Amino acid sequence: MAEIVCGARTTREINAEIRRAIAAGEREIVVKDPGARHNLGVAVLEPVRIRFAGSVGYYCAGLIDGPRVEIDQSAGWGLAESMMNGEVVVRGSAGNGAAAAIRGGTVVIHGDAAARLGVSMKGGTVLVAGSCGYMAGFMGQKGRLVVCGDAGDAFADSLYETVCFVGGAIQGLGTDAVVEEPSNEDADWLDSILAKYLPAAARRGRDFKKVVAGRKLWNFDKREWKVWQEAL
Amino acid sequence: MCGIVGFFAKDGEQAEVGTTILAMLRALGCRGPDSAGVALFGTPDDGRFVVRVKLGDRGDLESRARQIAGRLETIHGCSQFSTAASYARFLASSETDLNLVTSAIESLDKDFEVVSIGHRLEIVKQTGSPDNLEKTYGVSHFTGTHGIGHTRLSTESRVDLSHSQPFWSHGFPDLAIVHNGHITNYHQLRRRYEQRGVRFYTENDSEVVAVYLSEQLKKGSSLQEALERMLRDLDGSYSCLAATERQLGFVKDDFALKPLVMTETDEFVAVATEEIAIRAALPGSYSVREAQVREVRVWQR
Repeated sequence: MAEIVCGARTTREINAEIRRAIAAGEREIVVKDPGARHNLGVAVLEPVRIRFAGSVGYYCAGLIDGPRVEIDQSAGWGLAESMMNGEVVVRGSAGNGAAAAIRGGTVVIHGDAAARLGVSMKGGTVLVAGSCGYMAGFMGQKGRLVVCGDAGDAFADSLYETVCFVGGAIQGLGTDAVVEEPSNEDADWLDSILAKYLPAAARRGRDFKKVVAGRKLWNFDKREWKVWQEAL
Repeated sequence: MCGIVGFFAKDGEQAEVGTTILAMLRALGCRGPDSAGVALFGTPDDGRFVVRVKLGDRGDLESRARQIAGRLETIHGCSQFSTAASYARFLASSETDLNLVTSAIESLDKDFEVVSIGHRLEIVKQTGSPDNLEKTYGVSHFTGTHGIGHTRLSTESRVDLSHSQPFWSHGFPDLAIVHNGHITNYHQLRRRYEQRGVRFYTENDSEVVAVYLSEQLKKGSSLQEALERMLRDLDGSYSCLAATERQLGFVKDDFALKPLVMTETDEFVAVATEEIAIRAALPGSYSVREAQVREVRVWQR
C-alpha cells in the first residue's frame, strides 16, 4: 500500500505521485490530508483503489476509467464528472454537479447531494443515501439515478432514457417528468444494488417512486407549440 | 469568481476572528487577486460607535484625521481617533445621527468616505492580496465574535478601495455584506433607490445588496426575512453573506449558480465559497456540505 501525504505539495505533484505509485505496481493508495484541494485523482485509468482520507475539492475522480475512489469526508463541485467506469464512494456529502455526464460506473454518496446531481448522464448508476438538490437528473440520456431521501425542485427535467428512483418526497417534478410504479424487475434491481452499496439505507425497492421521461419533448412538432411554450 | 468567507463563534467575546478570517481568505486568494477585505465584529466600547473613514492617499493623514475629529466634536462628542494606512478610526457617541456624521465627514473633502459605522463592526479593505491586507493592517490580531471576508475578481467595475468588499450599508449600523456573483437587475434597482434619495458610492453591483438589506431591516424585517425576500427582488447569480451586530446569515440564488459551503459545530459556524478555506483555517473533525438552492440561514447570539 502506498501512502501519499499532501502537506504543502501542489495538486500536480500529488497527482503525479499517484501515477508513479500506480506505475510501480501499487494497487492500494491512500492520500492523506487532502484538505479539499481541487482536481485530485483525475483521469486514472487503472483498476486500483484510491482512498482520500479527508475532503476533496472540485472535479475529484473526473474522467476516470476503472478505479475505485473513496472519499472519507465531502466532495466539491463536479465529482466524478464524465467518468467512464469504476466506483466513486463519498462518505460525506457532494457539491453541485456530482456525477455529471458520466458514461458508466457507479457513484455512491452517503450524505446529501447539492444541485444538478447526475445531469446529462450517458450511463452508469448514481446512488444517494440522503437527499438531492435542485435540477437533479436534468437531460439524462441513459443510466440510473437513485435517491433514497428527498429530491429537490425541477427533478428529472427534460429526461431522455435515464431512469430515476426516489425513496422520499419529490419537491417538484421537472418538465416532462412522469411518475410510474416501479416494476418487479426495478424493485429487485433496487434491492440488490442498495444491499451492495448502501445497506444502511434499508428501504425496500418497492417503496421507491420511479420517474421517467413523458417523451413529450423528444420530437419537435410545431403543432404542439403549447407544450414547448410551457417547457421553455 | 470572487471568494467569500464567514466565521461565527457561538460563545465568548474574544474568538480569534481575525486569524480565522484571514486564513480562510488566503486559501481563496486565487479566486480574487484584485482586492481583499474583512468586516470584523469586536467588543463594543461603552456603547459608542466606531466610525471608520477612508482618508484617501493625498497629504498628511494625521492632520486630515484631526480635521475630521474637529468637525465631529462640533456635532456630537467625538473623542479619540487613530490612523492606520488609508484609514482613520473614530469613536463617537451612540446618540450620534449616522447620516449627519457621514455627511459632515464627507463634505469636508471629496476623498473622505465613511467605510463603516457600528457598535462592533470594523471594515478594512484594500486592493491586492489577503497577505497585503495583513501586512498593512495586521487583521490577524483582531478578536471578537464573528466576521466576513472577501477576495475580489472584478468583472464589472473598477478596482480600488471603494469598490472592494465588504460593503457597509450606509445608514444602518453594523450591517455588512459580501457577495459572489452578479445582480442582473442592478441598474433597475439602483435607479429606483436613487429616485428615493439613496446615495450610491460605487458602480459595483454588490453595493445594491447592502442598500437592499438595510432598507428591509429599517422597515422592521428580520435578517432571515430580508434574505428570503432578496430571492424575490434580486435577479442574477449570488451567494451572499450578511452580518449584523449579533448575526451571520447567507442566501444562495434561485439557480444555485454560485458555490457556497457551510459547517456548524457546537463552537462555531463557518461558511465559504470553497471547503478548502474552512479546512485551511479550522482544524478538527466536522462535516461540510454545500448550501442548497434558495437556502437561507441565519445564526444569532
